[in-house]
Amino acid sequence: MLLVTCPVCNATGDETDFHFGGQAHVARPATANPEGITDEQQRDYLFARINPKGLHFERVRCDRGCGKWFHAARDTMTMEFKAFYGITELPPDDVIAQAKGGWAEYFAMRKKKQK
Amino acid sequence: MLEPQFEPALAGRAEPANTYITLREISTRGMIDLRGHTSDRKFMAAAKEVLGVDLPKAPRTSHGFGDVKVLWLSPDQWLVICARDKAPELAAALSKALAGIHSLAVDVSDMRAILRLEGEGAREVMMKSTSLDFSDEDFAPGYVRRVRFAEIAALFNIVEDNVIDVYVFRSYAHYAMDFLTKAARKGSEVGLFKKG
Repeated sequence: MLLVTCPVCNATGDETDFHFGGQAHVARPATANPEGITDEQQRDYLFARINPKGLHFERVRCDRGCGKWFHAARDTMTMEFKAFYGITELPPDDVIAQAKGGWAEYFAMRKKKQK
Repeated sequence: MLEPQFEPALAGRAEPANTYITLREISTRGMIDLRGHTSDRKFMAAAKEVLGVDLPKAPRTSHGFGDVKVLWLSPDQWLVICARDKAPELAAALSKALAGIHSLAVDVSDMRAILRLEGEGAREVMMKSTSLDFSDEDFAPGYVRRVRFAEIAALFNIVEDNVIDVYVFRSYAHYAMDFLTKAARKGSEVGLFKKG
């Protein structure tokens, strides 16, 4: 059983108290550009997901608790949670530093945008 | 004018027998669902004005004043507990006081049934039903939490030591009572919280 801590209400509970919500940080192209989205963009938004071995970022809902969505950074090999952070936030810097491949590129892009 | 008739969720059901804690339904409580932003000072002040008590801001806590008790459900949701026949009045008073403020107050007295666990083994029976460790010192009187209870969604409130109220959706009342009766069957004591 995995123990999950909700960053909103700070409750630690069994994984069955929570609901898994798929890959985190998937941006909807139609939000940024409602007119000019292509079929490829929409396809990737709906179906293309990464499946990394190691650090992965996911959405979780405090389903039987406060009912709020949040993010979790999980290692898919060891099942260890590296961090829990708010739904509008990016992971802590030390966790971002451990990200590899597609995730590293993504966070580098996000950080650039923030500046 | 017709008087409102309240039918307890477990009306006509035989008292649970052969259990090592007391199990019964509390049907005299009214409930109001209250939503609004903690950061909205006008909302917090207006709610306090009507209820006579501050809305709890800390997760999993409750505040009581006289007959009214406010349970924290989520950062923007509370459950107000009051006398059953006062609930419509109180909900109307809240709605009136909160007019113009982004908020919601609805009388949901018939939405949930309240089951009371009373006795030395109350926390132990809760441990059989949920994944929580009730030996933790967090679980003190006043504690409120929504949790997965016997596979269903429930909310519990530790009223005082060895008295726990479990709120389940009304249609689950019989199932929850069946489950509790089995979990608290005499002879199945673990004796975790036995004194002395």
